[in-house]
Amino acid sequence: MKPNDADELDGRLLRVAMETPPPPPSPEILKTLGTMKPVRTRSRFGAFAAALAIGAIWPAYSLSSSALRPDLGKLPPAWVAIGAALWAFAVVASLAAALVPARGDVLPAGSRASRASAIAMGLVVLFMALWTARVPGVSVRPEDIGKTLLQSCYGCGKYVLQVAAIVIVLGVLLLRRRLPVGAGRIGLAVGAAGGALGGLALHFLCPIATTPHIMLAHVGGMILSSLAGALILRGLLGR
Amino acid sequence: MRDGVAGMDPEALEATAVMGRYCDGEAAAFHRLYGMLAPRVLAYLTGLLGDKAAAEDVLQLAFLKVHEARGAYVRGANPIPWIYTIAHRTCLDEMRKRKRSRVRLTRDGELGAAPAAHITGVAEEAHHAEGERSESAAAAMAALEHLPENQREALLLTKVHGRSVAEAAMITGTTPGAIKLRAHRAYVTLRQMLAGTGKPDQAAQAPSKRELA
Repeated sequence: MKPNDADELDGRLLRVAMETPPPPPSPEILKTLGTMKPVRTRSRFGAFAAALAIGAIWPAYSLSSSALRPDLGKLPPAWVAIGAALWAFAVVASLAAALVPARGDVLPAGSRASRASAIAMGLVVLFMALWTARVPGVSVRPEDIGKTLLQSCYGCGKYVLQVAAIVIVLGVLLLRRRLPVGAGRIGLAVGAAGGALGGLALHFLCPIATTPHIMLAHVGGMILSSLAGALILRGLLGR
Repeated sequence: MRDGVAGMDPEALEATAVMGRYCDGEAAAFHRLYGMLAPRVLAYLTGLLGDKAAAEDVLQLAFLKVHEARGAYVRGANPIPWIYTIAHRTCLDEMRKRKRSRVRLTRDGELGAAPAAHITGVAEEAHHAEGERSESAAAAMAALEHLPENQREALLLTKVHGRSVAEAAMITGTTPGAIKLRAHRAYVTLRQMLAGTGKPDQAAQAPSKRELA
């Protein structure tokens, strides 16, 4: 299409757009304006701070009240540090993208949220799949505690989903009536943040160090949480 | 427009200031905001619904929702895309209602006339007295109505209402890539129709996987 053609087409469409003068505000609106009072507006970071603070209570309690994994002091410090940093990044990046609007915007963007959480989850998946760290004789395998792989995953997976459920509920409460569109994509990020929060706690708590267990229970729990978040927010908050 | 106050155009700056005063309880600020945005929001809704009377009803409902949701506003943010988003969602709800109410049987078991499904319940017949349009504008309007819904909204937002691709994606709850693709397809289809080639080709109308995102 030539630029002139495009301008002509835009001009025609614009004429259509501008030829309809709006009616005055309805009596219902005018009535509500009569009793209007100042409102407290939302801060950009309020919902994020609230969700993070409340969502982190249980994992923090677990870390403080339960015994840390026995091999923690003997694992490569780089693996522990990078792993924890990636889990924490997945929590913060996903939750911030889901709940903090970009500067100058009122609403968080669903496309940005889903993209950020997908990247953060991808980094965790790559790291956990490619770098296995265990201390022979100290780190635990499922067979060492008389369990199959699936049996060993039950407790960890349940923990991740429970932590994520709290964050998803918080997300629903904080975004209720505030998210006209894009709830599914935002929910994906909220669920991913919750799952990653559980994964972060398990990084220090779970004594089972085999890659299949971590991928299935910890990482898989996070991915399942993100899908649950997408379905739940889409179902409860609409399109 | 996405860099906060520093990067906003004058219109967005004014809307931001007015919205702040509105949230402080100034009724005159609402009227100013309505005066600034109602014409363009109405134009967008008319383009989506293809029915001015229904668009006017959705406009009123959308501004009522804006009023109820003003506590969710973030001070210093540009309220224009947000108000478009609320109007868009309200419009989708109205379109669903219209689809549901399109076919109804009378008590005798016969098909009744298609109900108008206006929010206020005003009879559709009362809305038929329209002003005259210019020929080309009428042609553009008629052509718009033949576009798929998602292409029509992408075209209206980006080409007619001057929203950025990112803003249009936020308003419609999709991705910037999908908006670009839909707007392009809509533009091509519309041009073919206005050039008098008749029906748009099937390839331009069929949504791709990316469009459905």
